[in-house]
Amino acid sequence: MRTLLSLGLLKGVIAGLAGTAVGMALTMVVRSALGYPAWQPDQVTLAGTLVGIPAYLAGVGAFSAWWGWVLGKGIEEPGGHHFWGWTRYFGADPNHKVIGIQYMATSLVVIAVAGIYQLIARLETSQPGLQFLSPDTYNSLMSLHGIMMLGAVLLGVSGMINYLVPLMIGARDMAFPRLNAFSYWITVPAVFLLLFALPAGGFDTGWTGYPPLSTKAPLGMQLMILAFYLVGWSSILGGVNFLATIMKMRAPGMGLFRMPIFVWTALATAFLQIVFTQFVGIAFLMVLLQRVLGLGFFDPAKGGNVLLFQHLFWLYSHPAVYIFVLPGLGVISEIVPVFSRKPLFGYRLVALSSFGIALQGAIVWGHHMFTAGIEEWLRIPFMVTTMLVAVPTGVKIFSWLATMWHGKISLDTPMLFALTAIAVFLVGGLTGIPNGIVPTDLYIHDTYWVVAHFHHTLFGGFVFPAMAAIYFWFPKVTGRLLNRGLGKLHWALMTVGFFVTYEPMFWLGLNGMRRRIADYDPALGLGPMNTVVSVAAYVIALSMLVFFVNLVASAWRGTRAPANPWRSRTLEWQLSSPPPEHNFPTPPQVLGSPYGFGIPGSVHAVVTPAGGAGEEKGGLGRVSSG
Amino acid sequence: MAAAAKTRGEDRVAIYRLGLWLFMGSESFLFLALLFSRFYLQGVQRPAELNQPLGLVISIVLLLSSLSAYRGETCAVYGDQAGFRRNILVTIGLGFLFLVGVGIEWSEGFHFFPPSTGFGTVFFTLTGFHAFHVLTGVLALAAVLVRGRKVQYGPGSYWAVEGAVKYWHFVDVAWVFIYPTLYLVS
Amino acid sequence: MRKHWIAVIALTIVGAALLALLFLKVPLVPAQAAKQAAQIDTLLTVQLALGGAIFALVMVFLVYSVIAFRRRPGDTDDGPPTEGNAALETVWTIIPLALVLSLATYGGIVLRDMLRPPPGQELVVKVNAMQFAWLFEYPQYGFTSPQLRMPVDQPVLLRLASRDVIHSFWVPEFRVKMDAVPGMEKHLRITPTVIGNYQVQCAELCGLLHWAMRAPVSVVDGAAFQQWIAEQRK
Ligand code: HEM
Ligand SMILES: [Cu+2]
Ligand SMILES: [Cu+2]
Repeated sequence: MRTLLSLGLLKGVIAGLAGTAVGMALTMVVRSALGYPAWQPDQVTLAGTLVGIPAYLAGVGAFSAWWGWVLGKGIEEPGGHHFWGWTRYFGADPNHKVIGIQYMATSLVVIAVAGIYQLIARLETSQPGLQFLSPDTYNSLMSLHGIMMLGAVLLGVSGMINYLVPLMIGARDMAFPRLNAFSYWITVPAVFLLLFALPAGGFDTGWTGYPPLSTKAPLGMQLMILAFYLVGWSSILGGVNFLATIMKMRAPGMGLFRMPIFVWTALATAFLQIVFTQFVGIAFLMVLLQRVLGLGFFDPAKGGNVLLFQHLFWLYSHPAVYIFVLPGLGVISEIVPVFSRKPLFGYRLVALSSFGIALQGAIVWGHHMFTAGIEEWLRIPFMVTTMLVAVPTGVKIFSWLATMWHGKISLDTPMLFALTAIAVFLVGGLTGIPNGIVPTDLYIHDTYWVVAHFHHTLFGGFVFPAMAAIYFWFPKVTGRLLNRGLGKLHWALMTVGFFVTYEPMFWLGLNGMRRRIADYDPALGLGPMNTVVSVAAYVIALSMLVFFVNLVASAWRGTRAPANPWRSRTLEWQLSSPPPEHNFPTPPQVLGSPYGFGIPGSVHAVVTPAGGAGEEKGGLGRVSSG
Repeated sequence: MAAAAKTRGEDRVAIYRLGLWLFMGSESFLFLALLFSRFYLQGVQRPAELNQPLGLVISIVLLLSSLSAYRGETCAVYGDQAGFRRNILVTIGLGFLFLVGVGIEWSEGFHFFPPSTGFGTVFFTLTGFHAFHVLTGVLALAAVLVRGRKVQYGPGSYWAVEGAVKYWHFVDVAWVFIYPTLYLVS
Repeated sequence: MRKHWIAVIALTIVGAALLALLFLKVPLVPAQAAKQAAQIDTLLTVQLALGGAIFALVMVFLVYSVIAFRRRPGDTDDGPPTEGNAALETVWTIIPLALVLSLATYGGIVLRDMLRPPPGQELVVKVNAMQFAWLFEYPQYGFTSPQLRMPVDQPVLLRLASRDVIHSFWVPEFRVKMDAVPGMEKHLRITPTVIGNYQVQCAELCGLLHWAMRAPVSVVDGAAFQQWIAEQRK
């Protein structure tokens, strides 16, 4: 009980709830004093969250170090307290490995919830006719599925980068460890807000929240906007941290062109997060201001323009898809050479291709508005810029193939997931071409074709690579191996389930299945194919169940992992599993490429052995020492 | 921490500086988006009722505050604690003066171009977001001031002041773009 | 060495051909009922065939490598240390660029054709979208109808407007779609070519009953259209 009460999370939740209540009460008092009816859902809950969230953060302890700094106290060494229990994961801890695990765990939880939402919604659409959901509930489940999945992807991306980048570049921690903890902890209220969105009436706008619909949607909309805003700030601050870390904290000898590709993708991701997130933040704030205070951004009667939102929104949300997928593509670039026992083919071009993608992604947002009535001539330049993305993504895919060619390929679970990811991402890219070419987009826009297309990019660019990453780095993180048989079962079910779920959606879209519909006309003849889709979706869910069982069972009882089970060359594998608290007691000396497989005498880095102390300390909470 | 950083050859201040620049870079895209929205929604229209003298005065107040902030930073660099305190206090005062000016402009604005009109929408949003940034700047300056009661700033240990003052300049520069966009173009 | 390349190239050609056949023979799209639909379908088929060829190429390389170059049990050596090949890398940068730029050019030409106002008189229909219904106004004839009726082979200009939120006009058999945006008017050109009954569906999520926002569309011959006009104006 004592430990429970000392958990930052619990203190935060209590403080947050109290703060929310105070904020709501105050607003209601002020409103009645001014002669308005006390209850106005949007204003009252907004004020509640505005007080509640800082109160929650204070309760978690996200501010305490900064407050001490202002008062002129010294700052404790990150993680200087020598306590290694599981409680560490439920409070504001500045260690990048703890934060990485926190992000990843949160991400998996949110993915599970969002997946369940869509599984319910898919039951409804498996047959024409309204089965058991009201259209309202369908819209809310579908919208929440979208936004929660994307939030989970952002969390997962932060998780991977947080855990891996400092290790891979030979750093002690992130550049700003406390900011890092702060960035994680503001996402937790976002998750709560999204969970509350359903009981608060949901919202019927899809994840894109286009006004004017979103200015009229129920209260759930507002909770979603606030959640989006918090995750957005987490993303910006995370980006600042990643970029500063990569630019300033590399070990001696780690030139930019000696960094693992994953670090390059993290760098490009950070750039996108810093530059573009503000646009979507302000777009959603404008919706909020119109809802709560009656401003006129998107109300033509008040001099507004509804397309303003779409410009600002896609100015972020197109680059955002690269925030979602670049780290995943980086994971593939790490895994393919290791399991092919060959150097990554064309390293330099692959490294730069991520920046090619990032820069190209900045000038294509209009392709989401081909049917929305942007200037007709403007569609041509947007079509051309959109097509250019084929070049840098092509570079990546061809490099992976060339790496495997004449390699010595072993199909361990991480490699299996990486290979599926390549295939799926490829289909995602190819089916994006008709979306980018204006006349065909006029046909398939807002149909299930699009739904199929972006699930291919998200599964190929994030989900499958993230699974590959978990199977690959789990031994490093926990010191135990994941079960191989369950892993392969998970892979087989998920791969088959994926293709059977999503390939039919292309056909559905072409044949008149619009996206975001609770029901469709039986005359269209889409029923049987929709049933196939729904059944296969449950196969994906089953595979995830296998995965969760594997995670828990292996963390508990799995075989002890050696320091470097895959014979990889990057820095994190040269440390004990799990790595010591501060990674490298002395900075490693980097001498060459991380992918020099088979090159006689090639050395990536000299790492001074971590010593026995690290072995004991860096547990997931099993070992506690004085 | 400092010791650990030294053994690894990290230059903490350089890292802080980069972080701050990145943060301000990100914030500048917020203002960019707002400025873009002003032109997208309203073109270069502006109502005749804008209080031009007031706009000019608060702009000058804010520019002056950057000067005193700069002097405060210089004092901190040379370890002149009293000068530092005086100049930062003046800066904070000017910042509040600016906020009062914006408040007056708002109360007039509610009359002539309320937030539910086209120009009102962009005017209140732009000035509101900027005023919020001024407020955070004031808080940052106040924080280094409070910290200065315990910690002596001086050569080699003035990062906190430098950071807060840099942010203050940033907020000031943002106004340099907002002021003509709202008050001068037509 | 040589035999691997021959096998892979042969398999790629077979795979690409099979996929192309699939896209041509399997009915992927609904019936065509407008001039625009024919152009779009050809464009789509070209893209699918090209995409199929690229898919075949990558997948053949991938699966072939996994089988032919798998690690033998007990072999702990590394593979041959090829780190890159400037010529090859240039080739796979240039070729995709050329391919997609030609596709964009082709797409641009089709788009220009679709946007160009046809010679002669257009039938103008003002489409009013609202939650959750469509109203079709015929300004040249001065009446409004809950269904869209058009004469066959007559170019039609749809002027789209919305009263509340964003909607989108889509008849799958005509292929093209365009949003109805509150506060502005958007244009869409269609030349129906096949007599029959269709349905317009709202394609942009517009709230509670978005899925049910449909209206009948019929394409009739010229005489029947004139007769319908006469009835409506009475
Ligand atoms: C079991 C796995 C999944 C299934 C069966 C599934 C199914 C679907 C379906 C059928 C839709 C369209 C709903 C509609 O338009 O009415 C949809 C939308 C969406 N899904 Fe998934 N999905 C899955 C996993 C994911 C994952 C992993 C992500 C992200 C990484 C994701 C992101 C989205 C997004 C962003 C939308 C768009 C929502 C909107 O239209 O606003 N989904 N999903
Ligand atoms: Cu895009
Ligand atoms: Cu509609």
